[in-house]
Amino acid sequence: MNWFGLVIGVSTLCIIGMGFAWVIRGERYFGYLWWPYVMGVGIILMVISVLVTNNYGSALLGAMGASLLWGSTELKEQAIRGELGWYPFRDGKMQPPFAKIIKKWKAPSL
Amino acid sequence: MNPSVYNLGMEINLVGLASTAATFLGVWIGHVSVRKIEREVERIWIPSVLALTLGIGLEITSLWADSLVISTICGILGITLLWDSLELAYRQPRRVTKGHAPANPHNPRHARILAEHPEATVIDLLARDPRGVPFSDEEIRAIRGQTK
Repeated sequence: MNWFGLVIGVSTLCIIGMGFAWVIRGERYFGYLWWPYVMGVGIILMVISVLVTNNYGSALLGAMGASLLWGSTELKEQAIRGELGWYPFRDGKMQPPFAKIIKKWKAPSL
Repeated sequence: MNPSVYNLGMEINLVGLASTAATFLGVWIGHVSVRKIEREVERIWIPSVLALTLGIGLEITSLWADSLVISTICGILGITLLWDSLELAYRQPRRVTKGHAPANPHNPRHARILAEHPEATVIDLLARDPRGVPFSDEEIRAIRGQTK
């Protein structure tokens, strides 16, 4: 039997689960305007994943990268959830570099 | 030599590529289809059981696959389908009940939710841009009151 896929599948579920947590916390403290940076880190991890020769490392990095890419598209909706009172709202979020420019871009939402 | 590593000018590990694609597509397609299916289907246990069965089937396939790439794809898509099954049966209907996802009045199951739960609404409250300031209770009531 080949346990690789099941182990990677369960690990991916944990990574996606952590994604829910960091999107909620991250948006609360930093705001949704960090989405391009999160997306960039996700893409970098995805590229690194195909260059790593260890199969477990490669698969987990790929799942983390994809999860970050997905999370970057969830930040905008999470910001609205906070504003609607479904999650705690925090004033004075830490703005990212170039926040004024990023604000003009349409935040992705899938 | 690692059989999943291919030399395309530089060494490319296809396991990473498979993992990336399966995770992103699994989450994306799962997320979109859970919302769509839960909105349209009255007997929601049917797609939920289908997702559960398919998820278990993919996990079993991953255990018997010789190729690490196939095993990875089946393992990840299987587990996302198992999660989607839970989303369909429990989490998404609960969002509709609380008004966190829009109800479909043409779906008899959703029509019952709308009749029994005052928080449920047909309005997608997330279909707006963030404004940086919390909504007051009066504002939320006004938005909800547009149709209900």
